[in-house]
Amino acid sequence: MNALGRHRKLTAIWASEPGFKGWFSTVNHTDLGRMFLATAFFFFFIGGLLAMLIRAQLATPHSAFAGPDIYNQIFTMHGTIMMFLFAIPTFEGLAVYLLPKMLGTRDLAFPRLTAYGFWCYAFGGSMMLVSMVFGIAPDGGWFMYPPLSGAIHSPGINTDFWLIGITFVEISAIAAAVEITVSILKYRAPGMSLDKMPIFAWYALITALMILTGFPPLILGSILLEVERAFGFPFFQAELGGDSLLWQHLFWLFGHPEVYIIFLPAAGVISTVLPVMCRTPLLGYGWIVAAALALAFLSFGLWVHHMFTTGIPHMGLAFFSAASTLVAVPTGMQIFAWIGTMWKGRPELHLPMLHLLGFFFTFVIGGLTGVMVAVVPFDWQAHDTAFITAHLHYVLFGGFVFPIFAGIYYWMPHFTGRKRFFYLGEFAFALVFIGFHVTFLAMHWVGLLGQRRRISTYAPEDGWTAINLISSVGSFVLAIGIAMILIDVFLHALTASRGRRNPWRAGTLEWAMITPAPAYNFASLPHVTDRNPLTIEPDLAVQLAKGEGYLGTPRNTWRETLTVEVASGKPDMHVIYPANTRLPILMSAVTGIFFLSLLLKFYWTVPVAVVGVAILAWKWVWSIGRQDDMDTVPVGQDIHLPNFAMTDRPPGWWGSVFLLTANATLFGSLLFGFAFLWTVAPGWPPPDWFPPSVSALALGIIGAGLGPIAMRYATQKNRNGGTPLASLALTLAGAVLVAVACAAMMVHTPAPTRHAYAATLFVLGSYGLFHAALGILMVCFLIARVRCGFTSSARRAEFPIVRLWIDYLSVVSVLILVVAHLPGLMG
Amino acid sequence: MRDIIRILIAPLVWLATFSAIYGLHGLLCGHGINGTAFGLPIERVLLGAAFLFAILLQTALLFALYHPSLAASSEFSRFVSRATGWVGLVATLWSLSPVVLTTYCV
Amino acid sequence: MLSTVDPAGPAAQTIATLWWVMLAGASLIFALVMVLLVLAFRRKNAGDDAGRVRAWIVGLGLVFPMTVLAALLAYGLIVGERLLPREGPDIVKVGAEGRLSAWTFTYEDAPSFSTDGTLHIPAGRPVDVAVTTADVIHSFWVPRLAGKLDAIPGRTNILRIEADEAGTYTGVSAEFSGTGYDSFTFYVIAHDAANWDAFLNGDFE
Repeated sequence: MNALGRHRKLTAIWASEPGFKGWFSTVNHTDLGRMFLATAFFFFFIGGLLAMLIRAQLATPHSAFAGPDIYNQIFTMHGTIMMFLFAIPTFEGLAVYLLPKMLGTRDLAFPRLTAYGFWCYAFGGSMMLVSMVFGIAPDGGWFMYPPLSGAIHSPGINTDFWLIGITFVEISAIAAAVEITVSILKYRAPGMSLDKMPIFAWYALITALMILTGFPPLILGSILLEVERAFGFPFFQAELGGDSLLWQHLFWLFGHPEVYIIFLPAAGVISTVLPVMCRTPLLGYGWIVAAALALAFLSFGLWVHHMFTTGIPHMGLAFFSAASTLVAVPTGMQIFAWIGTMWKGRPELHLPMLHLLGFFFTFVIGGLTGVMVAVVPFDWQAHDTAFITAHLHYVLFGGFVFPIFAGIYYWMPHFTGRKRFFYLGEFAFALVFIGFHVTFLAMHWVGLLGQRRRISTYAPEDGWTAINLISSVGSFVLAIGIAMILIDVFLHALTASRGRRNPWRAGTLEWAMITPAPAYNFASLPHVTDRNPLTIEPDLAVQLAKGEGYLGTPRNTWRETLTVEVASGKPDMHVIYPANTRLPILMSAVTGIFFLSLLLKFYWTVPVAVVGVAILAWKWVWSIGRQDDMDTVPVGQDIHLPNFAMTDRPPGWWGSVFLLTANATLFGSLLFGFAFLWTVAPGWPPPDWFPPSVSALALGIIGAGLGPIAMRYATQKNRNGGTPLASLALTLAGAVLVAVACAAMMVHTPAPTRHAYAATLFVLGSYGLFHAALGILMVCFLIARVRCGFTSSARRAEFPIVRLWIDYLSVVSVLILVVAHLPGLMG
Repeated sequence: MRDIIRILIAPLVWLATFSAIYGLHGLLCGHGINGTAFGLPIERVLLGAAFLFAILLQTALLFALYHPSLAASSEFSRFVSRATGWVGLVATLWSLSPVVLTTYCV
Repeated sequence: MLSTVDPAGPAAQTIATLWWVMLAGASLIFALVMVLLVLAFRRKNAGDDAGRVRAWIVGLGLVFPMTVLAALLAYGLIVGERLLPREGPDIVKVGAEGRLSAWTFTYEDAPSFSTDGTLHIPAGRPVDVAVTTADVIHSFWVPRLAGKLDAIPGRTNILRIEADEAGTYTGVSAEFSGTGYDSFTFYVIAHDAANWDAFLNGDFE
């Protein structure tokens, strides 16, 4: 088979449906990456328009442009859109598009999950837009502090749009994070050990792990606040045993890592683009990996620095002040490593490099003001003033938007296969750079002059008029610059002339293919021996197209790839991907009905939607797997690999591990919240305690013990060729016992509307019940699979997955039941 | 996967001890206990002991990451895991230093 | 009027000094980074990577920031300790309760009355303001006298303020509280000793 024949055959296997219909059924990462990016930039445009409205309002004193009620919606939506609907999805889109190409494989780990995540994002984002069109958008600030965002002070539907819409969108972040983590750890080209991974993959891996542990506190907080608003459970009401500070802890436990979740992918872009622009390898690869890891961890120990003025004792503040200064060290190390790279090489002033210089100038200022506000006494003055507005825009625009523009211009020839011919981009850069600094530099000063954030107007006597006018003028220059960049991108995609492959002479694998990228990425997978494979083997693209790598012969209609061992990069599994399907869009639509029912308080459709999701999920998982055993598959170079259905650690197991990591973080946050309220909140002890029961506790613990043991028997029985049905039935019985114990706990909990103690216990009980139901569903699924012949002693992959979830159920249910019963039993 | 754990463990332990000591401080302030030990207020002694424990834990981890039988096999993983090991120790010393430097509960 | 860089009390003065010191330091560091960035574009000699790692990553990336930050952290902690509302003689205690959208002030030395929208304090004496709220979160901030402190439902937070001289100082609530937030302001009037006594006796205009 020649290269063209191989291309045709692979394209037939991998291509999406033609035309716009293909958008709804595609599961291909190249398509979905583009869709993510296009949607994210659409929201960037909307968020930018809102920013213009803010600056129009503040340009002059006593402005009558918008009243405070509308203005509050505008700035709330500006922050919300930029954070949740632009920055995070842009990372997701870039990672989804680039990672398989950089890692030398054909798609991400779970193609249908990518699509599901995208549609959840698109639908959730649309919900937010609808609220804006009808003038009922959230108006409590993007931080949504109760009691202002509670039912008493914000009775309208506005806040519900935020809590429910953002939670819907977060599904896509969690889905993408699981996907990216598993893909980077397992789905790489053979030979690509951890130290040979492209640096962007390290940054994406760290970011994804941060999303998995950073977002759950916010999701939990949103759920609790929505439950408080809808059903009156007083989690955040001081007079009923709640505490508004609990929200602040949960919010910033998410909100601070969020800043680094936004910065790290951008740093990954810089670490990728800058060395190419300087024609030299990156200086200190291992150091940079360590610095990014340090940054990720330290960022989880900073959250209280958003709460310096809440009256926490000085030693508590000092811990976080110290940690906040320390985080500047790994950040600074990366900056100096990049400048050192520039010194090492010969920097060339291409357009991406201009944006990188814009990054350096802007982000260093933002970092320095960041260190200033880490110093507690200064923050007491600067907090909630325009100084902070200026600081955060230096950090986020400098640390995210400039690098992303650099990345867009860098990978533009890859997206389209074309090259630019205008100098529009250079001119636009100048406008953006000048406009940005005119807008935000003087804003620091007006903050020190006492201008608070979020005010809709001010008086001439305040002495802020000149600076605000300058800011507004600058912001319009900035807006024109960004509009020109968007126009440039459009013109480029439509008109520019065909470019050559690998125009930047980069060394990473995404350039070892024809552009625009074919649906299958690589006609055969490379064997990687270096961090920059194209530098040592410039003809790699041709060799791969000729089928000289792994999996070079298309088989059946299989979308094939292989996975590797995490550390060494040795091939270990053969994978067949699912093909195009509308299941993801359908499932996210049904998920949307669930959220919409909650929003509109049509509670009778909630169970319908839940059942719908369960049925679709069943169908989703059912379609994987085979009813006959399969020999090991030859993948080329004399290597034979087992298919993933015949392993103990299939992709689904890896995905479950990381999904459960996020889930455990959510559960941990819930336990933290319970402990926090119990020890810190005013309004305790509660009027009535939970009536403990030894028998209910014992029942639950027996069930929790039975499940994992029986599941292990089932696994072993299946492995030895016996029938595991009896053991599976016992596992099922264990899960049912846990469900009964959790349900009993919810029934016996005192009225949850009367005190936060009972409210939290009720939520803990529901969490246990939900997971027990999930466990029951999974065991039933496995029983059905066994009966239909989808398992054998060789095809055993589904057992470890179910075992993982049953184990998790046991751990959380024991904790929940102990937390509820034990205090009462002890006295 | 073992290498990933070696790389993550020290900063993860830092995060746990950091949050725990912050929580301990909050607990001591919320439910004040009186008394002295070794001539110091009991709060300071408890916080100091926790700080010392956190430092010892990080030192032990660092020791393990350098120990031939426990260290990672590839040179790269050894380098990164030791670097993050140092991050854990330095972060512990630095971020929890207020235990011995500042006033508590005011 | 609301300027933090025009301090009129010891706390605001200390923080303003902190700001100017940090601004000077930050400007120097920024200039250093920009010079290094510009110098990257000149022709240079070959060197080895091990030396570069030592210079750029260990030297500039590790030792340099840790030294600067340790000094800054120490400075910040010392300032923070100095501003704490410690017990002492001569301290005046007042209460400030925020509610949408006004402040009510009470006085320990004159429990019989309260004032709305204006807090009276003696000049030249430390005043501990007990900040509370009746509804949502607010923040008590008089920029020329001291930093801000939040009013959290169910809690009482103590802020130490002091005005060097008699006069009127503007304050604002600095935590977003909905549509009335723009105009959520108040005044602090610092009296000399004679007027303060008169005020406590209920003798004020």
